[in-house]
Amino acid sequence: MSMFKDIPVDVGVIYEGERIRRNDMQVELGGPTVKQKFELAKVKPMNEIEDGKITIIGPDLKDLKEGGAFPFGILIEAAGAKLDAGLEGVLERRIHGYLNYIEGFMHLNQRYDIWIRIGKKSFQKGLNSFEPIGKVIYRLFKSELPIVEKLQVTFITDPAKLDELTPEAIQAYEARDSKARGLKDAEVSEFYGCALCQSFAPSHVCVITPQRYSNCGAISWFDGKASASIDPKGPVFAIPRGEIINEEKGEFSGVNEAAKQRSMGEVTKVWLYTAFDHPHTSCGCFEAITFYIPEVDGLGVVQRNFKGAAVNGLPFSTLADSAAGGRQIDGFHGMSIEYMRSSKFFAADGGWTRIVWVPKEVKEKVKDFIPADVVDKIATEEDAKNVDELKAFLKAKNHPVVARWEAEAAPAAAETAAITVNEEAAGTMMPVATAGSLPIMAGGFKIILKDAKIYANKVIIQTVKDEKKP
Amino acid sequence: MTSKNVHVKIDEMKTNAGLIKNLELSIGKVINDNYTEPMGPTPMPSVTALRDWDMKLLTKYKPFYMPDCDSCCLCTFGKCDLTAGKRGACGLDIGAQSSRIVMIACAIGSACHTAHSRHLVHHLIEKYGRRYPLDVGGLNVKVEAPVSRLVTGIKPETLGDLDDILTYTEEQITQILATAHTGQEANNLDFESKAFHIGMVDHVGMEVGDIAQISTLGYPKADPEAPLVKLGIGSVDRTKPVIMCIGHNVVPSVGIIDYAKDTKVDDKIEVVGLCCTSHDMTRYYTRARIVGPISWELRFIRAGLADVVVLDEQCIRTDVAEEAAKTNTPVIAASEKNCVGFKNRTNDSTDAIVEDLVSGKVKGVLVLDPEKVGEVAVRVAQAVAPIRKRKNVLPTAEEVVAIAKTCTQCKQCQRNCPQDYFIPAAMKAAAAGDLSKLTDLYEVCIGCGRCEQACPQKIAIHSLIVKAGEKSMECEDNLCRSGRGAVSDVEIRNVGSPIVLGEIPGIVAIVGCSNYPKGGKDVYDIAREFASRRYIVVLSGCSAMSAGSYRNSEGKTLYEEFPGGFEAGGVSNVGSCVANSHIAGAAIKVANIFAKRPLRGNYEEIADYIHNRLGAVGLAWGAYSQKAAAIGAGFWRLGVPVVVGPHGSKYRRMLLGRKEDPTNWEVLDARTGETVNVGPTPEHLFNVAETKEECIVQIAKLCMRPNDTWKGRAGKLSHYIDLHKRYLGVMPNDIHLYIRTMADVPITMKDEIGKILEANNWKETIIPDPTLLPRMVRKMK
Repeated sequence: MSMFKDIPVDVGVIYEGERIRRNDMQVELGGPTVKQKFELAKVKPMNEIEDGKITIIGPDLKDLKEGGAFPFGILIEAAGAKLDAGLEGVLERRIHGYLNYIEGFMHLNQRYDIWIRIGKKSFQKGLNSFEPIGKVIYRLFKSELPIVEKLQVTFITDPAKLDELTPEAIQAYEARDSKARGLKDAEVSEFYGCALCQSFAPSHVCVITPQRYSNCGAISWFDGKASASIDPKGPVFAIPRGEIINEEKGEFSGVNEAAKQRSMGEVTKVWLYTAFDHPHTSCGCFEAITFYIPEVDGLGVVQRNFKGAAVNGLPFSTLADSAAGGRQIDGFHGMSIEYMRSSKFFAADGGWTRIVWVPKEVKEKVKDFIPADVVDKIATEEDAKNVDELKAFLKAKNHPVVARWEAEAAPAAAETAAITVNEEAAGTMMPVATAGSLPIMAGGFKIILKDAKIYANKVIIQTVKDEKKP
Repeated sequence: MTSKNVHVKIDEMKTNAGLIKNLELSIGKVINDNYTEPMGPTPMPSVTALRDWDMKLLTKYKPFYMPDCDSCCLCTFGKCDLTAGKRGACGLDIGAQSSRIVMIACAIGSACHTAHSRHLVHHLIEKYGRRYPLDVGGLNVKVEAPVSRLVTGIKPETLGDLDDILTYTEEQITQILATAHTGQEANNLDFESKAFHIGMVDHVGMEVGDIAQISTLGYPKADPEAPLVKLGIGSVDRTKPVIMCIGHNVVPSVGIIDYAKDTKVDDKIEVVGLCCTSHDMTRYYTRARIVGPISWELRFIRAGLADVVVLDEQCIRTDVAEEAAKTNTPVIAASEKNCVGFKNRTNDSTDAIVEDLVSGKVKGVLVLDPEKVGEVAVRVAQAVAPIRKRKNVLPTAEEVVAIAKTCTQCKQCQRNCPQDYFIPAAMKAAAAGDLSKLTDLYEVCIGCGRCEQACPQKIAIHSLIVKAGEKSMECEDNLCRSGRGAVSDVEIRNVGSPIVLGEIPGIVAIVGCSNYPKGGKDVYDIAREFASRRYIVVLSGCSAMSAGSYRNSEGKTLYEEFPGGFEAGGVSNVGSCVANSHIAGAAIKVANIFAKRPLRGNYEEIADYIHNRLGAVGLAWGAYSQKAAAIGAGFWRLGVPVVVGPHGSKYRRMLLGRKEDPTNWEVLDARTGETVNVGPTPEHLFNVAETKEECIVQIAKLCMRPNDTWKGRAGKLSHYIDLHKRYLGVMPNDIHLYIRTMADVPITMKDEIGKILEANNWKETIIPDPTLLPRMVRKMK
C-alpha cells in the first residue's frame, strides 16, 4: 500500500467492521465511562490552516496506561475555496469511516459520543502514536475530497484542554443542527438527485432537498452537496431548483425536468410535500411508508421493521409492494424517518394534522417534531389495531381529521371494501365469491332456474378490485 | 385457491333475486384468480421457450470440457471411444456427450427433488386436505413462492395448488430425459440449454416441497432467529436408545417423533439424523439432533451408535443393511424409493414387525406407512438397546496397531481414495504404535470406504480411522441454526440500501454435499471469512452442518457468532436440500421487491436482472450428487455464478468467460441502447477452485456486477484485492478490467492502482443500466 507505506499497520476498507474486545485492547478513548470526548470538523479560512499539521495536546498513545479509558477529542480543521460551514457535518462523519480503515482501530458513534479502542496487536506493531493516525486521516481527506485543499488534525488527551473544548464542540453541534433544520427549500438554488439505487430500481430518482431527506434515510441535502461537488458525474448530482411552480405542493420546474430526464419520461411532475396526485417516487429501500386510509381520510405510517399488520390490515411488505420500484402511486409514499422531522412533512396534506396512525417505535423517535396539539391524538398500534378502532380513537380524541369527515360526505362503503378485500398477504382464506360480485344478482331482473344443470370445465373467479381514488 | 371437481346441487332456494329449483352445477376446476399480476411471456416454459436466453449465457460463458470419462456406453452400439475428436456410433462427439451427461445428471437430481416433493404433497394433502392454506412467513412474506410464480405463473395459496405446479415439473423432467435417448439431441449447446432448463425446473420442485412442509409441520417461518439446535454425536445422550434416521424425507421421522411424544417416551429416547432429514427433523422438533452430513454414515453405524436405523430417501449408502447387520442394528426402510430388498411389512401387525426385528429374525423391514414406522422404530429401539449394548465393530487401540502391521504398503488405498489421502503413511505410523496420523484422517475423511474395497489385505481401514478418531467423535457437540426457510420480504428490503451503498459487498450461498477436499473446516473458514467481512452468508444442507461444527477462539459456533438474518454479516441456514430454492427465491425477490419487476411467467427478464445486478455467488465446496448438479444448473440459468470444489471437475465441464476477449463483456445500456463493455462481471458462470484460498478469492471477484455503484465496486474491489494478497500473496493482475471510473478505486489504494491503470492504458467508461435483452432498452416517453 504505497499510500500508507510509512504507517505501521495496514489501512483498508476491509477493516471497517472490525470489533476490538476489551481483552484485546491497548487503550480506550472516549466511550461510556468517560465524560469529556468529542470529534469536530471546522471549516476555516485558508490562511488559518497549516496543511498537513498534526498536533497532539496531552499525552500521546504510548504514554497512556494499558487497559485504561481516557478522555479524548479530535479536531479536524479544513479549508478550501469551495468549502463552507454547511459541509462541516459531512466532513465530520468521514472521520468515523477513515479511522475504521486502520487495522486494529475501532471507532464507534460520533460527535460527543465517540468510543474508540486501539488493539494491542496494532499497538505492538508500532501504532503507538497519534501521529500516524493523523496522517491517515489527512491523506484520506485529501485523496477523496479534492474540495478540501488544506487540512490540519489535532488530537487532545489533556483533561484541562478537553474541559475547555468539549462544551464548545457541543455548542457547535447545536448551532449546526438548528441551522440545518432551519434551512428552507425555497432558500437554496440547488437540490440534489440521487440515482444510486437506480442500479437496482432503474426508474427511481430521489430528490433531496434541505427539507426532504432521501427515501433511504442515508443522504441529507448536505451529503448530496458534498457528493455532487466531489464527483459531478457520479450518481449524486445537482438539480437546479428552477422556478417554484406550486409552493404549497412543492412543485419546482427543475425537479420536474430532472425527473423526466432520469425516468425516461415515466414521471413528469413531482410534488414534494404531498402523498397525493404526484407524490415523490418510491424506491426499493425506503425506511417507512405512508398510506392513505380512506375510511378516516387520514394518512398512516408504517416502518420497515414493524412486525404485524398496520391499522388497515396490511403489513409493511404489502404496502411497500404497492408503491416500490420507482413508481409514483397516488396515496402511497415511501420515505425516510428523517423526513418526518421536516416542517414540510406532507405539508400540503395538512402535515401532522393529517397523520392518524404511527407505530409507537417511530412515534417515539419523532415525538419532538409533532405539534403538541396533535401528538396525543395520533394513534399507535396500542390504541388501534383496525380501522374501526382507529375511527373511534380519532373521534374520542377529536383528531383534526374528524373535522374533515363532517366537511365531506361519509366515505362510501365501496371504499371500505376495496381496502379490506386486498388481504391476500395475510394468508387468510378468501371467499370464493361474494354476493355483490355475482352477475346473476345484478340489475332489477328476477331469475328463476328450474331443473337447471350447468357444467363448466373451468371457472375463473377474480376478486373485483376497486381502484378508488382518495 | 384452486378447487377441483366442484359439485353444487340445490333442490330449492328462494332469494330476493329469484327462485332456484333443482339446480345442479358441476365445475371441473375453479381457479380463484387473485393473482392480478398480468401473465408474462413464458408461463410454464417448454423445453425451448428460454433457449435464446440460454444461448446468450452460453455465448458469454462457453463450455470448457474436461471429460472425466471419454467413452460412451449408454447404448449397445458402444461402448464408443470418443477421444481425439472421434464420434461414436450414433454420431455424437465428446463435447455433446459431456453436456449430455451433465443434462442427465441434472435431470436425475431434478427428478429426485420433484419426486420427494410429490410424495410430501400427496402425504400432506391426505393429512391436512387440499385447502390447507400455505404460510411460509406470515405477514413478512408476500411473495410466498417466487420461483413457482416466476416459472409457472401460478401463485399457490393452498396445498392443492402445489399439485398443478408439480404436474408441470414432472412433464418437463420426462421431456428432458427423452432427449437423452440415443439419436435425439445432437448439439452440445442444446444439451446445455436443456440442462439449464431442468435446473430451473428443479428449483420449482424444491420450492414446492419446502413450502408444503413449512406450512403444515410448524417449521420456523422465514425466521432469522430460528432456534439453535444440537449438532454432533457428542450431543447425544448415549445412555438412551438412539434412533438414527438417514436421508432427506422427513415424513417417517415425523412419525417417529409423534409416536414418541404421544406415548410420552420422547425424553427417554434420542432421535438423531444424518443429512437433510436431520435438518427437517429439527425444524419439526428442536430436541432432535443433527449428527452429521451424509458422509458420516459408516462411522456411526460401525461405532455402534445407532440402535435402529431408519432410511427414507436420497444419498443413503446402499450397503447400510450389511453394515448395520454387523452391529446388530435393525434397519427400517421407509420409502418406496429405497426398499433395500426387505420384505414389505406395511400391512403386518406392529407387534409382529417389532418382534421379528428385536429377536433378530429379520435384519430389516420395509414399512411404507410413516405412522407405523414411528411405532416400530420407537418400540424396537427401546427393546433392542439393552440387548445390543452398543455393539460395534471397531477394533481396540491395540488391535489397530496389530492390524496396521498387516499392511504391505501397496498404496492401493491411496490410489482409490477420492481425496488421495496419505493412508499408507498413516498405516505405517499406526503399525509403529502412533495413531495420530489416522486421527488426522478422521477429521478429513469423507467416509466412502473405497480404501477398504481396494485393500488386498482386506483391512477395514475405515474402522481403523474411526477408532483413531473416536475421542474427537465423542466430543462433537456443537450448534446449528435450525432451517429458517424463506428469506422474508422485509429482510430483502432492509438490505436494499446497504447493497446499493456498497456496505454489503455480496451474497455468498454455501450449499452442496460433504465430499470436501480437506474436511468441513474449509466450509467453516470460508463462511466465517465472508461473514466477518459483512457479506450475507447463506447456507443449506450438509454445508450448513459442517459450518456449525467448529468453534472460534471464544468457543462460539458460527451460528452463535453471527446473527441468523439475511443481512450484512448474517449467517443463515435456510434448511435442507429442498430449501435451496429459497436462495434462488431471495434473488428473484430482489428483482420483484426493489425494482417492482413483474414475476409472473417472466423468467428471462428476471434472470437478466439478477445476472447483471445481484452480486450473489453460489459455492458447492463438496458437490458429489446429481441433485447438486441440478441446483447449480438452476442458478446458471438465473445467471448466478457457481464455484465448486475440486470434485466438481467431474461434472465434466465448466462454463468459463474469456476475460481477455472484450467482446465477451458487452451489455446494452437500457437508458440509451448503446453497447457498453462492462468488463468480466461476473467472469465465470461455473468453475472449479482447487484450494480454499483460491475459492475465497474467486468468490470475492465473482460478486462484481455491471450495475455496481462506484461505492459498491470500490468495496468489492477492496475485498478482492485484500483477499488476493492475503491468500495468494500478490496483487491481482486484472484490476484494471474492473475499474470504470476513478471513483471505483478503493480510496486507500489510489496511488497504487493509479499506476496499474496507467500501465494498462486504462480508459474511463460509464456505468450503464445493464441488460442483455434488446427489448429492455427503454424508450423516452
